[in-house]
Amino acid sequence: MEIISTGVAGTMESSDIIVRIEPKDTEGIELTLESAVMQQYGKQIKKVIVETLEGLGVTRAYVDAVDKGALDCTVAARTLAAAYRGAQSTDFVWDGGAEK
Amino acid sequence: MSFSANAVTLTGARLEKTVAFLNGSGLRYEGGADFTVQITDEYGDILGTGSLCGNVLKYIAISPALRGEGGAVQIVSALVSEAYRRGITGLFLFTKPSNVDLFRGVGFFPIVETADACLMENSRNGIDRWLTTLQKGSGVQGAVVMNCNPFTIGHQYLIKTAAEQVDTLHVFVVSEDRSEFPFADRLEMVKRGTAGISNIIIHPSGMYMISHATFPTYFLKESADANTVNATLDATLFGKRIACKLGITRRFVGTEPFCEVTRRYNACLKQVLPPLGVEVIEIPRIGGISASRARELLKQGTRKELAGMLPESTLKYIEEEMKCVRL
Repeated sequence: MEIISTGVAGTMESSDIIVRIEPKDTEGIELTLESAVMQQYGKQIKKVIVETLEGLGVTRAYVDAVDKGALDCTVAARTLAAAYRGAQSTDFVWDGGAEK
Repeated sequence: MSFSANAVTLTGARLEKTVAFLNGSGLRYEGGADFTVQITDEYGDILGTGSLCGNVLKYIAISPALRGEGGAVQIVSALVSEAYRRGITGLFLFTKPSNVDLFRGVGFFPIVETADACLMENSRNGIDRWLTTLQKGSGVQGAVVMNCNPFTIGHQYLIKTAAEQVDTLHVFVVSEDRSEFPFADRLEMVKRGTAGISNIIIHPSGMYMISHATFPTYFLKESADANTVNATLDATLFGKRIACKLGITRRFVGTEPFCEVTRRYNACLKQVLPPLGVEVIEIPRIGGISASRARELLKQGTRKELAGMLPESTLKYIEEEMKCVRL
């Protein structure tokens, strides 16, 4: 998936995270995170964001996230939504839902 | 305490209350608010307020009663959400240095700080990312930042003279679309009017030079009270974040006999930039040439009079490409 415009998802409400994703010309994901629980969960939040993007095949992006104590599932959901918006894609592939 | 930030319309009594509340917090309302949210008590009195002006968050103030209760976060959060809803994602925030930590918590990072103001943006390296997109120069490098509304013989002379004194001259054309001539036309007039000068690079000035974020009073020239002109932030930003990254050691300006705002801006550059390693060189203006006079002549002058003010390239551009523009 290629990020072609800025995509944003989430809010700054408590227990949420706001993720902004922007196009980047060179390889790699450059992530900045601001979190109220940076010392406790900073690494974990970054890991969830990066793995979610890898799962989508995003290899080039600037990502800025402001976390207000979101759970991992919220972090992943907001990252997914921001990436789809940034890729201007509605070709959603959900991995939950239907039983195989 | 439970409260919420709600959108309000700044007119009539609400505007008066807001202006008074801002004054009480040491802020001056200068207009331009596109969207405002406020926290109010049961009597409608303001406990906190904040506005969105284009892509700049401004006029943010909280009553002492609400400090430490998350009031500012609520306000900023509401403004950011609204901006994103409008498709504006690169955001700036103007505040006092004492509030920097508060706004870091909601995803804003300082770009530059002076004794009494701090400009922040919602991206840690926004300015550096922007700088990497600019074409690089080499050797001794200089810069001019100009609006060119429209591009005159004076601008042409300034660029030519400055270019002779450096290996590369960066010409930044003010991007902000608040002038009679739209940015795209001003940029094109500069390109055509400097076609013979080989050692210049023309850039849009972007958000980080003479913009409504760095130097709002520049765009209020007619109404601005000269004493309130604060160009220190713009000058400091240029010295600390831009000049050093691009290798610019000289900033050229034209002498300013008419406009008080520009004169103060030049004086401020001379004060701020040299300690940051950027020499400020003032180039005497050609007598009688000014963009504002040219604009008057465009309304009611002859082509001959205009030809003394504008280079042939600008005249041709205005006649051929901008037929529809009424000045």
